[in-house]
Amino acid sequence: MTPITSLQTPLPITPPSGPLNLAQPGVGEQPFKSFLMESLGQVNSMQQDADKAVQQLITGGDVNPAEVLTTVQKADMSFRMMLQIRNKLVAAFQEVNNIRI
Amino acid sequence: MMSALDISTSALVAQRVRMDTVSSNLANMSSLTRNANGEMQPYQAKYPIFQTDDKLTTSQGATGVKVASIETEKVEPQYRWQPDHPYAIKEGPKKGYVAYPKINMMAEMVDALVASRAYEANIGAMEITKNMATQSLRILA
Amino acid sequence: MQYDADTPDPLTCDLGFLMLPNLFTSTNIPALGEVLNFAQARHGVLVGNLANINTPGYHVRDLSVDTFQQKLKEAMSQSRSQSQQLSPGISQSEPGDPMRQVRETLTNVLYHDDTNIDLEKQTAEITKNQFLHNFALTVMTDQMSLLQNAISERV
Repeated sequence: MTPITSLQTPLPITPPSGPLNLAQPGVGEQPFKSFLMESLGQVNSMQQDADKAVQQLITGGDVNPAEVLTTVQKADMSFRMMLQIRNKLVAAFQEVNNIRI
Repeated sequence: MMSALDISTSALVAQRVRMDTVSSNLANMSSLTRNANGEMQPYQAKYPIFQTDDKLTTSQGATGVKVASIETEKVEPQYRWQPDHPYAIKEGPKKGYVAYPKINMMAEMVDALVASRAYEANIGAMEITKNMATQSLRILA
Repeated sequence: MQYDADTPDPLTCDLGFLMLPNLFTSTNIPALGEVLNFAQARHGVLVGNLANINTPGYHVRDLSVDTFQQKLKEAMSQSRSQSQQLSPGISQSEPGDPMRQVRETLTNVLYHDDTNIDLEKQTAEITKNQFLHNFALTVMTDQMSLLQNAISERV
């Protein structure tokens, strides 16, 4: 058991760095709009990949059914996530609209 | 996954052919057949030759099985002393003897057992393949 | 549904395309529906083989999967290149519909030459056909539910 006098002085608390650093906006941050559009593009490309995979399977391509199902499920989940994000955005917008000046 | 089903099916067909030859051998244990010259010869045991089927391969190298040919054994027949038999040998050192097929019943029964177990094992493999395919549809729930 | 350029149709946008059938043709749903039709037709033929396993002189029948898949591929690429719609069902088939050729393969029964029906082969084909059918059904149901989520905005 170490005696209490041998405790070291506590380390100084440094301000957080990284994306949460609100004092200085970082250089690598994107505006929210482009982030959103990029995500929409990614969801779209995943849907197209899933469509292509299904088409390949039903026209006799040499593709594994389990892979196709996984691709379709991933596309579905990302679409549903996007839908939820969109719902939340719309709700937020409506809330902002209802602010009484 | 579906090629696994084809491979198991080829095994089932091959084992069935083997079972057919075993049944034929056991049924003809004492029979004589007429050969090309018209003489009566004892029945010789038949056995299938299995080979890997090159037409039934997957990209990973799994191959199916096919029956390449059904060969006839050539063993010395069993001779029985039956001078009054219509097909007794007329002259030579074996005069008065009748040539009967020499089929090893124990070996044939073991072959039948092996064919039966192999058939069961392949059916088991097919069940598992079907199960895997059905379960994989649950990815999409 | 005839589209007439002069009289406005309440179901079409004034941009000149039919909106509601387009809802399905941009997905895989028409192609998957054709796969379902094919799988069910082939099931009937294969089960007929099993029933006639002891009939003397019976020739094994089948519907060719390769021909069907080839025709489906051609129909899909044709619809993409000509931007022509694949009909989502029999009721809305237009004269230039590429899916018509695909549907013809459902009635071309192949007769095999060998009279030796292998029970195992027929059951294996039935199983494979069943998997194809269930796969197409699952994916099609999933796509429909996704469309429903998009329409109702409720995940």
